[in-house]
Amino acid sequence: MVEPSRSRFWFEGRSHDAEPGRTVLDRLLRHGLPSLQRSPRYHRPRAPFCGIGQCTGCLVRVNGRPNVRACRYVPGEGDRVETENAWPSRRFDLLAAFDVMFPNGIDTLHGFRRPAFMTPLYHRVIRRLAGYGQPPSRESATELRGPPRVGSADVLIVGAGRSGRVAAEALVAEGRHPILLDRRADVAPVAGADVWASTTASFLPPRPSTPGAAFDLIGYTEPARGVLVRAPQVIVATGSYDASLLFGSNDRPGVLTGDGALGFARSGSPAPFHHAVVFGAGDRARVVLDELGDHVSALVAPGEIPPETVRVASAAGIPLYPRSLLCTTEGRSRVRAVEIRARGNGSSTRLECDAVVLVHRRLPNGQLFFQAGARMNWRAGTGSYYPVVGDDGATSVPGLWAIGSASGTVGAASVGSGERVAAAVTGGSLPLSPLERVRSDGSNELEGYYRELVRIPRRGRWIACPCEDVLLEEIEQTTRAGYRGVEVVKRYSGLGTGLCQGRYCLPDALLLLSIAEGRPPSEVGYITQRPPVHPTPIAALAALDGVLTPAEGT
Amino acid sequence: MSAPARSNYSVAIVGAGIIGLYTAYHLARAGTGPILVVDRGFLSSGASGRNGGGVRQQWETRATLRLARESVAAYRRFGREFGYNIWFRQSGYLFLAETDAELARLRPVHDLVRSEGLDSRVLDADGVRRLVDGIAPGAAVGGTYLGTDGTLYPFPALWGLYEAVRALDVEVALGVEVLGVTTADGRVTGLATSRGPVTASRVVNAAGGWSGDLSRAAGLDVPNHATRHEILATEPMKPFLDPMVVRPSDGLYFSQTMRGEIVGGLTLPHAPGTGGGMSSSAAFLPRMAASLSRLVPRLGSLGVLRAWSGYYDDTPDGFPIIGEDLRCPGFFHANGFGGHGFMLAPSATRRIARAVMGEATDLDPGLFGPGRFTGAARPAAVERLQLG
Ligand SMILES: Cc1cc2nc3c(=O)[nH]c(=O)nc-3n(C[C@H](O)[C@H](O)[C@H](O)COP(=O)(O)OP(=O)(O)OC[C@H]3O[C@@H](n4cnc5c(N)ncnc54)[C@H](O)[C@@H]3O)c2cc1C
Ligand code: FES
Repeated sequence: MVEPSRSRFWFEGRSHDAEPGRTVLDRLLRHGLPSLQRSPRYHRPRAPFCGIGQCTGCLVRVNGRPNVRACRYVPGEGDRVETENAWPSRRFDLLAAFDVMFPNGIDTLHGFRRPAFMTPLYHRVIRRLAGYGQPPSRESATELRGPPRVGSADVLIVGAGRSGRVAAEALVAEGRHPILLDRRADVAPVAGADVWASTTASFLPPRPSTPGAAFDLIGYTEPARGVLVRAPQVIVATGSYDASLLFGSNDRPGVLTGDGALGFARSGSPAPFHHAVVFGAGDRARVVLDELGDHVSALVAPGEIPPETVRVASAAGIPLYPRSLLCTTEGRSRVRAVEIRARGNGSSTRLECDAVVLVHRRLPNGQLFFQAGARMNWRAGTGSYYPVVGDDGATSVPGLWAIGSASGTVGAASVGSGERVAAAVTGGSLPLSPLERVRSDGSNELEGYYRELVRIPRRGRWIACPCEDVLLEEIEQTTRAGYRGVEVVKRYSGLGTGLCQGRYCLPDALLLLSIAEGRPPSEVGYITQRPPVHPTPIAALAALDGVLTPAEGT
Repeated sequence: MSAPARSNYSVAIVGAGIIGLYTAYHLARAGTGPILVVDRGFLSSGASGRNGGGVRQQWETRATLRLARESVAAYRRFGREFGYNIWFRQSGYLFLAETDAELARLRPVHDLVRSEGLDSRVLDADGVRRLVDGIAPGAAVGGTYLGTDGTLYPFPALWGLYEAVRALDVEVALGVEVLGVTTADGRVTGLATSRGPVTASRVVNAAGGWSGDLSRAAGLDVPNHATRHEILATEPMKPFLDPMVVRPSDGLYFSQTMRGEIVGGLTLPHAPGTGGGMSSSAAFLPRMAASLSRLVPRLGSLGVLRAWSGYYDDTPDGFPIIGEDLRCPGFFHANGFGGHGFMLAPSATRRIARAVMGEATDLDPGLFGPGRFTGAARPAAVERLQLG
């Protein structure tokens, strides 16, 4: 992981400085927000959206390895970075004609059945259009064939955000030596803890039932190397992320989540926008206004705007649009304006902007809890599942602990929960007061919002699942055809089967299906979280074969 | 969650997988009176929504081969018959041989396939390399290949059948669990379900991996045993592999789907029984990744997108169990399809429907009949080619 400071990497035939701890995207952002690739079906231009390695907005090919996330990959000397799935180039892609030719979408379920003699040709054409990029090159895999990184500790902490770090420090203070891992490349050290940066946790299988058995966490580092950490206690502090939102041409470059906007701005490069429309009005919106207020031209909210936010925005002279629907974006390969509409059949307004920043809802990263078999609880207020945790942060699985926003605690309590769990893990005796949980329940603001939104006349493409280019209309047809439940809709339409593992589309799909099917979101389905949490290179997994004790598959 | 609409049916089918739905389709077309299909899960929740979509005609016995060949013809028509495109792509099945001895073991299959008029080929190492771009040098001395085998998309097959049977007035009750089979004087009278009793003089056990449980709940001693099989899909990429590839030594199989993903699995020793849930194990991902990248090293830098598992419903001799169980008149078996129920469904269910209607079928009872395991009877043959 030690890079010489003057190394260089190649992108589209030009060389760029590589700096330690700085990703490919950090480097490219100096020239503005790049549109790096095209979408799978309709070849629409796509740009970085989340900035935290969870979407499909920044996929590039590195040294012949497909689908590497530019916002996560720290380039090394001589790395060749190329773009994918555009012909002849990412800026001008002839296949974008599909976007115009198929205004109602390409129906691969019913179409291409006749005449029979055309079948082989249909197969050839459709296969060639599918897929994000070219298959890996031979050399790419050879480069990745290295020994895995294997470690063990009495406590493993997944996630080095605020609460994970607090837990690590508290454990060190109790004389423990935890491993603290995080996907980010730039993780500050914690004295006394073993910090593994650029390390993604992919799979936390249930602990084997044999007495004394520990958890085996499977993961990988960048550049791809297998990771195995064995620990009897695992603290999951994977945090939360800003959700996406459905509207017309919601995939246009310049539409960002709060994570993306803040991350890009904090990366030290000039902010990749100058007059953004912020959507949302809570704590997260205030963080954006604090850090990026000069670059915000309007704040739009689905409901009322809390007084604190009104104060901050007014001080910065930012106009406010409470109780509004975000209807559509305009522009070509970049957002130029949005159309909003006052709720309750109000009038519509066009706001010029060069970005949309989504901060209306934050969702927990709960996949590891699901995988390890922890009991989960649906909370209508945020519209997502959280682990059932005791006051000390214990989940229903012995040895598995939940802290921070992934566990459903908020604010200062979320940070403090690290100390609390450290105390419980080490058997210490901190005085325990009840944790402050996420607004425990109540109705979801977005449910009523979407109820209105789906009835307005539609402009642009409404992309329910950007990774796979699944349209809202396709989801609606599925319901009309009599199929119910998110699991069936997924299999029927392909929604949620792309590289983001359903993180961005499924939470909204639950709400939309609940409206269409006329039953609460929790009945529409439990979103199964199939491993791995993030796409994990085969070479990294292969390196772990034989390292893991061949436990019986239980 | 729809309760059965009436209380009296001519036939009640347990399981809305490919076998249950296809059986309902044949029965409804023949006009056998009101038909009910019950499933406790959602559509596609069983093995029919969890498989690799492989369809092959290379088998060790003529009986299985002929069922498979008839099914291939049916799947070719499927899109025009049912309105859904299942993307049945006949781009071959390749059985790899790592040694000359393995190749010799594949020979009899090849000879049988050819004797049925299908164009099976024996390939040498070069022939294999031409079909599997990037195969590791020395990974195979050769193999057998049949170009008209192929792969399909299981889901649209289920949608097409579901809509077709509903259009034929078959009732499909989803989210309803069958708790047991009711009998009077040793004859079937109906089902006990989580939504109350259902009357039907004929019950079809098409419960896939759970069919052994259902038969045993009805007091029938059956040899079915469920085994969990895991499978994964990678990130989708542009086409590079045409055939389904099978390596008998470790049971590895994989193909590239229409969407561009590599989908495949291998055989792991798993505890039998349906208690293990349908999640993935810690052992599978590294094992599968190692096996796959040993064979095709370039796949090493591709990401695994998701892994899942499902149940095979295995029988001791590798043949499905089809027909009425004479120990309990009115109870029909449509199960024991192991890892091949999808590819055999169209033809096998045609015979199941016949049996339910009391008509004779061309199936050898010594190979397929439920009675073949009872008493002194011994299976007449064994279908050993169970991989992929
Ligand atoms: C990983 C994997 C890969 C495979 N690959 C292939 C392949 O490449 N090619 C191929 O041809 N086959 C393959 N198979 C096998 C194939 O999927 C099955 O043989 C086939 O789907 C069986 O269909 P079915 O309808 O009998 O069972 P299922 O699809 O499992 O349906 C049975 C249904 O019965 C329901 N049920 C069970 N008990 C009850 C009850 N008590 N009450 C109510 N409902 C009940 C279940 O909910 C389920 O939906 C594979 C299987 C697996 C697991
Ligand atoms: S911007 Fe890199 S994954 Fe979302």
